[in-house]
Amino acid sequence: MRASFVFSEVITGLRRNITMTIAMILTTAISLGLLGGGLLIVRTIGKMQANFLSALQVEVNLDDAVSAGDPNCTQSICAGLRADLTNYPGVVSVQFQNRNQTFAKAKAEFSNDPEMEQLVRPEAFPASLLVSLQNPTQSGVISAAFASKAGVRDVDDQGVFVQKLTDLLNGVRNATFLIALIQALAALMLISNTIQVSAFTRRTEVGIMRLVGATRWYTQLPFLLEAVVAGVVGAVLAVGGLVVAKVAFLDNIFGSVFSSTIIPKIGLLDIASVSPWLLLAAVGISALTGYVTLRLYVRL
Amino acid sequence: MGDTGTTHGVKVDSPLVIRLEHVSKTYKSSTRPALDNVSVDMDKGEFVFLIGPSGSGKSTFLRLLLREEVPSKGRVYVSNFDVAKMARRRVPRLRQSIGCVFQDFRLLATKTVAENVAFALEVIGKPRHTIRKVVPEVLQLVGLDGKADRMPNELSGGEQQRVAIARAFVNRPLVLIADEPTGNLDPDTSQDIMLLLERINRTGTTVVMATHDHSIVDSMRRRVVELSLGKVVRDDARGVYGVGR
Repeated sequence: MRASFVFSEVITGLRRNITMTIAMILTTAISLGLLGGGLLIVRTIGKMQANFLSALQVEVNLDDAVSAGDPNCTQSICAGLRADLTNYPGVVSVQFQNRNQTFAKAKAEFSNDPEMEQLVRPEAFPASLLVSLQNPTQSGVISAAFASKAGVRDVDDQGVFVQKLTDLLNGVRNATFLIALIQALAALMLISNTIQVSAFTRRTEVGIMRLVGATRWYTQLPFLLEAVVAGVVGAVLAVGGLVVAKVAFLDNIFGSVFSSTIIPKIGLLDIASVSPWLLLAAVGISALTGYVTLRLYVRL
Repeated sequence: MGDTGTTHGVKVDSPLVIRLEHVSKTYKSSTRPALDNVSVDMDKGEFVFLIGPSGSGKSTFLRLLLREEVPSKGRVYVSNFDVAKMARRRVPRLRQSIGCVFQDFRLLATKTVAENVAFALEVIGKPRHTIRKVVPEVLQLVGLDGKADRMPNELSGGEQQRVAIARAFVNRPLVLIADEPTGNLDPDTSQDIMLLLERINRTGTTVVMATHDHSIVDSMRRRVVELSLGKVVRDDARGVYGVGR
């Protein structure tokens, strides 16, 4: 098989049908871009959970009486709670932090906000028992078991916050994937239609090819490759779109959200690691659609 | 045929190139068969006219040879291909040993004369140096040397049919099928085309030509197979179109 011949057939085919080709490429690009966006969110969620859940602690805050009267957790209420927590299934470690230590930490957090720094008083902060869990997602169990015990003011579960954020991102991801799927359906139908139109406009050539004994592959490969080339161009555009979206949109507008380091920043490396999948999806989907179309709808 | 021989060359002990054995073909849309129990043998190097009115089964006959259709009954052999029974993936090999010429030329309007001829070789994967060598040769054979770079629409009908014949013959087929090749041409030009087909026939290629042209059939005095309502009604070794037609 002569590659140059097949290649020139592909180029001719794409150019002859230029508006359809562009539509096919753009639809594919948007679909793949959304797919890529969804995949990036998946990565972000993964990173966020890895970063936070491992460091996540449940804070059992003690009430005023205990906080004020027992700075070393030696009296029965505090010591009892500490013992109960230490023996609780799934608990790795329990660390006591008295009112002044909590205050010092808070003051450090407000260091770039002098007004707040002035306002805070140690009396506003409780002493806490900081509980590390084997499985950070089970923080709710501690909360349920200890919130109403004597000496406990409340249980501060950071897991709830991370969970909410995860849920939000999961929702965004699902919506993105859904739109990507709908767009992919449109791309699929466009690819199929383009191949049918392409095969129709070239029926004379194909007829002659068949007549002189060209194999099925030789007659069909140009059409298949047209779809794949369009798919690859679409994938490249999609990756380019993701880079532009990252630089112009995420970095500029949402830069501050990311700098808070709650949501990990999406880097070019993330996009680079998602790109091969987009390319693979593009080639796979366009080739498969092309093949099925040629088999089912085009009499060659 | 079909049971012996390994290549698609003609066997030495038998000159047969085409054999139809009790072939019938019924199309779904019609109750009357397009071909009805047809048995015909054609030898290597024969020149055979296939005549008969429209709807007599000429086209079906030719389509069966190319395996554009499969017979409802009977067997078709071309060279040592068992045409009706062969696997689909082998059909290209069959077609590479048959050249085809049509009334409407079927040239690619966007390609030059030389490119049209080369196309037939490119799509069966012939190497470029072969193509560069044989295309000018065959253009010379059909009398189109010097017109290699013309576009089909710059040529007369006769010249266009020569291009088509060059394309059909460039791969040196065993059989050349011509379906009303002079149907769109004036008598003089038709005569030139017939001379060309005769020349090709003399190289040992079997020519099967479907036609309505009385004068050509009468002047050539070659074998005539006449079909009527799907049956062979006449098979003369040196025939004329028919008395009183």
